[in-house]
Amino acid sequence: MKVAVAGKGGSGKTTIAGTLARVLANSGRRVLAIDADPSPNLAVSLGMDAVAAARIEPVPHSFSHHTEDAEGRYSVGLDVSPEDIAERYGTPAPDGVTLLLIGRVEPNQAGAG
Amino acid sequence: MRGILEHLHTSAFPATVTDMEAGLEHLKRGTLEHAGILLIVVEPYFKSIEAAGRIAELGRNLGVPAIYAVANKVRSERDEAAIRAYCSGHDLPLLAVVPFDEDVAEAERQGRAVLDTAPKAAAVGVVREMARRLLANDVPMAEARVAD
Repeated sequence: MKVAVAGKGGSGKTTIAGTLARVLANSGRRVLAIDADPSPNLAVSLGMDAVAAARIEPVPHSFSHHTEDAEGRYSVGLDVSPEDIAERYGTPAPDGVTLLLIGRVEPNQAGAG
Repeated sequence: MRGILEHLHTSAFPATVTDMEAGLEHLKRGTLEHAGILLIVVEPYFKSIEAAGRIAELGRNLGVPAIYAVANKVRSERDEAAIRAYCSGHDLPLLAVVPFDEDVAEAERQGRAVLDTAPKAAAVGVVREMARRLLANDVPMAEARVAD
């Protein structure tokens, strides 16, 4: 299940995302919570304390490289396996959720369809 | 290869929940294609509802298979009716109606998770039910939506 939570600022999307992640984890699934907001707040909504939240290191963009095909479509490759990224940058959050901070998702970072 | 989010989703985690950047200016090609389910959190006021409609349209254009509105901070039947009216008029299924909840407001004042400060809060109950329905695939469908 790949859920993206969007909405205007202040709508409560981060609270809902954090609560949903923990509820899913409580139902026995391994849950990766990804904070793609450049002003990250998901850690606190997941129940981490603010000091620990502030220490989380985001996934460096240098792990990915971009290529462009003949039709001008971007694709993104990872130079490090996702498992390694989750291992190195994933932060344990309550209820067994693993949290990753990736910052803003730029189109040329996330790849074009 | 569809980008860093797509790659992360292929890892050992059967469930991912991504908190997207607020607003919609940044939601364009390449930012949402990873998602199987797009939840658009919407408050009961015009600008929020209108933004939700635009985010839904972007999600459709990007081919997200399942797009739902989640009403939040709903204080009254009129609040709920406003969101329902928009959603039904725009073929946007409404997955859940989360009430305005003083327990959530208090948790946010404290910088804590409402699941820790008030696990039995009404808003938490609605999110639990929403998760149950998503897991059971017991979700409303918009007639115009056809999954990829």
